[in-house]
Amino acid sequence: MSDNRQADIRKWFMKSHDKGNGKESKPATPAPANSERQVHGGQENSGRRKTSKYFATDKQKLKEEKETEEHLPAKRKTQKDSDESLKSPPSKKVHKVDADDDDDFVLPSSRKNSVDVTPSKKLKLGLGRGVTQKPVDVEENDEDDDKNIETPLRSGGRGRGGRSSSAAPAGGRGRGGGRGGFMNFGERKDPPHKGEKEVPEGAPDCLAGLTFVISGTLDSLEREEAEDLIKRHGGRVTGSVSKKTNYLLCDEDIGGQKSKKAKDLGTAFLTEDGLFDMIGASKPAKALAQEESKKPEDTVAPLPKKSPQKIEAKKDKISNSLTTKVAGKGLISGASPAKRKTQTAEKNASTWTEKYKPKVPSDIIGNQSLVKQLHDWLAHWNEQFVDTGNKKKGKKQNDSGAKKAVLLSGGPGIGKTTSAKLVSQMLGFQAIEVNASDSRGKADSKIEKGIGGSNANSIKELVSNEALSINMDRSKHPKTVLIMDEVDGMSAGDRGGIADLIASIKISKIPIICICNDRYSQKLKSLVNYCLLLSFRKPTKQQMAKRLMQVANAEGLQVNEIALEELAERVNGDMRMAINQLQYMSLSMSVIKYDDIRQRLLTSAKDQDISPFTAVDKLFGFNAGKLRMDERIDLSMSDPDLVPLLIQENYINYRPSSVGKDDNGIKRMSLIARAAESIGDGDIFNVQIRRYRQWQLSQSSSLASCIIPASLLHGQRETLEQGERNFNRFGGWLGKNSTMGKNMRLLEDLHVHLLASRESSSGRKTLRVEYLTLLLKRLTEPLRVLPKDEAVQNVVEFMNIYSISQEDFDTIVELSKFQGHPNPLEGIQPAVKAALTRAYKEGSKSRMVRAADLISLPGMKKAPKKRIAAILEPSDDGLVDGSGELLAENEEESSSDTEELEGTANGEKLQLELQSLNSKGVEVKLDLKGTGNSSAKKTSAGRGKAGSGPTEKKGARGSGTGAKRKR
Amino acid sequence: MLWVDKYRPKTLDHVMVHQDIAQNLKKLVTEQDCPHLLFYGPPGSGKKTLIMALIRQMFGPSAEKVKVENKTWKVDAGSRTLDIELTTLSSTNHVELSPSDAGFQDRYVVQEIIKEIAKNRPIDTKGKRGFKVLVLNEVDKLSREAQHSLRRTMEKYSAYCRLILCCNSSSKVTEAIRSRCLNVRINAPTDEEIVKVLEFIGNKEGLQLPSGFAARIADKSNRSLRRAILSFETCRVQQYPLTSKQVIPPMDWEEYIAEIASDVMKEQSPKRLFQVRGKLYELLINCIPPEIILKRLLYELLKKLDAELKHEVCHWAAYYEHRMCLGQKAIFHIEAFVAKFMSIYKSFLIATFG
Repeated sequence: MSDNRQADIRKWFMKSHDKGNGKESKPATPAPANSERQVHGGQENSGRRKTSKYFATDKQKLKEEKETEEHLPAKRKTQKDSDESLKSPPSKKVHKVDADDDDDFVLPSSRKNSVDVTPSKKLKLGLGRGVTQKPVDVEENDEDDDKNIETPLRSGGRGRGGRSSSAAPAGGRGRGGGRGGFMNFGERKDPPHKGEKEVPEGAPDCLAGLTFVISGTLDSLEREEAEDLIKRHGGRVTGSVSKKTNYLLCDEDIGGQKSKKAKDLGTAFLTEDGLFDMIGASKPAKALAQEESKKPEDTVAPLPKKSPQKIEAKKDKISNSLTTKVAGKGLISGASPAKRKTQTAEKNASTWTEKYKPKVPSDIIGNQSLVKQLHDWLAHWNEQFVDTGNKKKGKKQNDSGAKKAVLLSGGPGIGKTTSAKLVSQMLGFQAIEVNASDSRGKADSKIEKGIGGSNANSIKELVSNEALSINMDRSKHPKTVLIMDEVDGMSAGDRGGIADLIASIKISKIPIICICNDRYSQKLKSLVNYCLLLSFRKPTKQQMAKRLMQVANAEGLQVNEIALEELAERVNGDMRMAINQLQYMSLSMSVIKYDDIRQRLLTSAKDQDISPFTAVDKLFGFNAGKLRMDERIDLSMSDPDLVPLLIQENYINYRPSSVGKDDNGIKRMSLIARAAESIGDGDIFNVQIRRYRQWQLSQSSSLASCIIPASLLHGQRETLEQGERNFNRFGGWLGKNSTMGKNMRLLEDLHVHLLASRESSSGRKTLRVEYLTLLLKRLTEPLRVLPKDEAVQNVVEFMNIYSISQEDFDTIVELSKFQGHPNPLEGIQPAVKAALTRAYKEGSKSRMVRAADLISLPGMKKAPKKRIAAILEPSDDGLVDGSGELLAENEEESSSDTEELEGTANGEKLQLELQSLNSKGVEVKLDLKGTGNSSAKKTSAGRGKAGSGPTEKKGARGSGTGAKRKR
Repeated sequence: MLWVDKYRPKTLDHVMVHQDIAQNLKKLVTEQDCPHLLFYGPPGSGKKTLIMALIRQMFGPSAEKVKVENKTWKVDAGSRTLDIELTTLSSTNHVELSPSDAGFQDRYVVQEIIKEIAKNRPIDTKGKRGFKVLVLNEVDKLSREAQHSLRRTMEKYSAYCRLILCCNSSSKVTEAIRSRCLNVRINAPTDEEIVKVLEFIGNKEGLQLPSGFAARIADKSNRSLRRAILSFETCRVQQYPLTSKQVIPPMDWEEYIAEIASDVMKEQSPKRLFQVRGKLYELLINCIPPEIILKRLLYELLKKLDAELKHEVCHWAAYYEHRMCLGQKAIFHIEAFVAKFMSIYKSFLIATFG
């Protein structure tokens, strides 16, 4: 037994059903799921048959054969039906087929009869069509191999034929997937038996009318696959459990929100196998057919007479469908060709979008309230603006708050233009549509539809002329409404378009409806203030499906609602596109199924949003080596800025799987070194891209910064620090870089202050690298060793000499902190610190200002950041003041941005006026050294303009600046 | 006031090192018109001091009255307007600035701001010098584009504007600029000169210098006078009666890099690399320039390394430093160097000791 187990371990996974020894050695599936399965297996043995056929007992085989026999008639009947029903409408036909199927199932005894009845017909058909089609048959089989899952039910007969041969490849694929799934076993999140089960094929409508909710991880299907499966069989999948939900599909009861609610509502629980059974049960025949084609000798033995016929019949069906397919695309269908032809002819005359345009406002899908609002607005427009406008102009307009124009916004194809037209039509307005195809510039001369016979040129004239005509004889002329379509498309060609439109709205005597796609467009910013805003929303997929169904019915198309909902979802609310797609598909088929829509709109599939973390997870994942190059590029390009940073942050953490045995970690280390170098390459690429705009390098950049490091190091992630969570960290560079930027700014401030003190003229780098240690020592050491008062005095003095402010003090301390080193302020009593702060604050009142800080310039829209420092001279070098005066003049010349110092000596305060070239005056208050400085004031008074005593010099100076100001 | 600033010679006559250069410069400006000058030499050798003294020589004491401006320039760069914040230090006759502070936008600084400053002609009144001086620091940090823009400016406005360029390495200044300037090489002071200066300062401050102490500082200072004076004062602050055995405290960041180096030498593992990354970030956050980090790290590693690996490690350090200049995110390259070192060293260890 155990040997058996070992050898068949893979079969175990593939098998997934427990017959015989399954109960003894359970595969690693969750227990509840298993037991569930067993229950189901017991209940519906027939449905199980397909998946477990390779392990079937003799008894089962017998049964199968029996059933095969039983089902043959069904197939033939189908064929017959399809032939018969060529004249009957398709819907009816399908229904009939289903009914037959059901019959097969429920009443096995009655089939015996039909077996007897059919052969003659069968033969006839075989003779009629399947004459020399053998090679074709093979081909057809191949084709079916390729699109095994698809198998659309075009016409009854063909659908069957296709499927019967396709079931085998489907099974094969399931197995192939199973192998992959087994290798992937360790992966998280994936279904535990991914791809190991055969997905049954059922009748297309076997789940019709049922609503499912999927919860948790399923046993073998991805959620999307399960959703697909359900939809393909006519079921509906919703996001959350409600009263309408028939089944909650889940394999493990994780006790989530959904299952809780489902329990409350009494919704039935369904396992994945249960679902398979439901689907499989609906269609037992096919499995057999496939069985048969696989091992014909089995079937031949008990039924020597019938089987050849049967096979022939199958070929016949296939060839039949093939010939029809080849014959003509429009004519494939089982629907009467004549009718279809006429339809096509009709369609040529007008596209469906035109044909099925809403005729009355209630036809419009969704946004009914907005349509109503539009209706009301338009209906009351005249009394609101024209009539009152005649009496009391302007007054009423303002207080009513009503807008003279309306702006409809929303995505394409949701019926904005249609609603605008319909509403105006209904209210008896004559709509003049001006859209992007008309030139709408200011000097427009192309709008030839002058109203009332006038040769109005521009919109403006149109509008005002119309006003005139209204006033003259309203009875004769129809009321008019101007529909400005696609206003956001007013572009370079339409010079002054929006502004002109606004002007038109202001003077307009007719209502204006503006239509745009993006309300928040920059161009429309000014326009929105003048308009009543109506934002159209996308209709729901149900609403759209309903309307699409009407269209389909009117055109004689066979579509189910699920398929239409899928279509509605894929086109993203764009009704026009949906109808166009529908029309296009109707050209080649008359029965449209879920799969067809899926296939057709595959290209417009929703883009997956990959978060950078997911991308990095995938790139570094254990089996990232299997990813294709384009997949890797897609992943790394999902966020070309963030993904490299995440990679850089985390690449050290991975234990590369490409390295086999690596006792001392040499290989890993050298891989890390290579990866690090590659990341550096990525950085260099990035510089080229950003600085020199070499965007063509972006692929190489992502290759160097993401793909190479990831492919070198992908493997198992491990933590490097205790207590770290084993997830990818966010890129540290961003935060560190911004901290560095902040510190740089602080350092620059300190640097400026030091320069302003005029005691030092070192560069910023030198300051940090060489000065800072000593500065810190000078600032903190005395606080530690000297008695409090003396220390404080000492430090404050030093700070004053170098113009170091309290903030600079903090900067110095901050920049000297190193992780793992003692805080530079350690050992200093808090009392001393407080005393220092106090002393500094005290001193700042009488401090000579050498560094002024940010000044905002009133009168300027945006205050330029400007720091003026060291404008005052020390009081003791008054001797050079005279010459300094002249020099000051030069100095102002030399710097393009002139500054001028004005001193008003009133005690301690000095008013400085800063004059920039464009004569924006500013007032800044600066604290000055009180006592010692009043003399300085005197000496510098000559320099100042509004000084205490008017002097010759000052006058001259003043005029000079005056002249400068004019400049 | 710090001793470095307090005892900085103000005039060309007072300089203690490079007296010959000082005298030549003096002759240059007193006897004839001054050409553009390019001062280059290692840090702490006295370039800035000489430049300031030279300017004072040219314009007299008014040159010392400088004001500092830190303002934002609006520069039109094609389609957009750039805001460039720049600190300038200016007196009536000279303007000093570090265009490389603007980072990769330095081209605009040269093209717009320097040109703007250079073309404003000083109003000469009393038959004084008809030009003003523009001092540009760290010219070797300027990008190639900026240097190319600079050379036109040098010619065009040479009538009334002299440029004094100051940099560490003249090799990073383009030929074109070097040929337009009088190149002045300022050597690092010798240990004896440093000792002389330190003793002079000690004398002025009235300190008792233990014998050999000044020599030890000079030795540690890597022939940077500034560095020597600063650490001299640090010693003084740390402990006053100076003893000959007193440790000369290293710079905080140097200490930290030494720790990193010993970390790296002790263990070569991803875990250690991760810790080292954290420490490197710490240094960068504290505004230590990345090239200094890399250089110092190499220096510390070399101290502990076996001779046969030294060459290879130096090679890689140079390689990664070059790439760091090309790139933007310095940490990536330093980390790559550390990773490379770990990889090399680890395989070396295993090859030697098994």
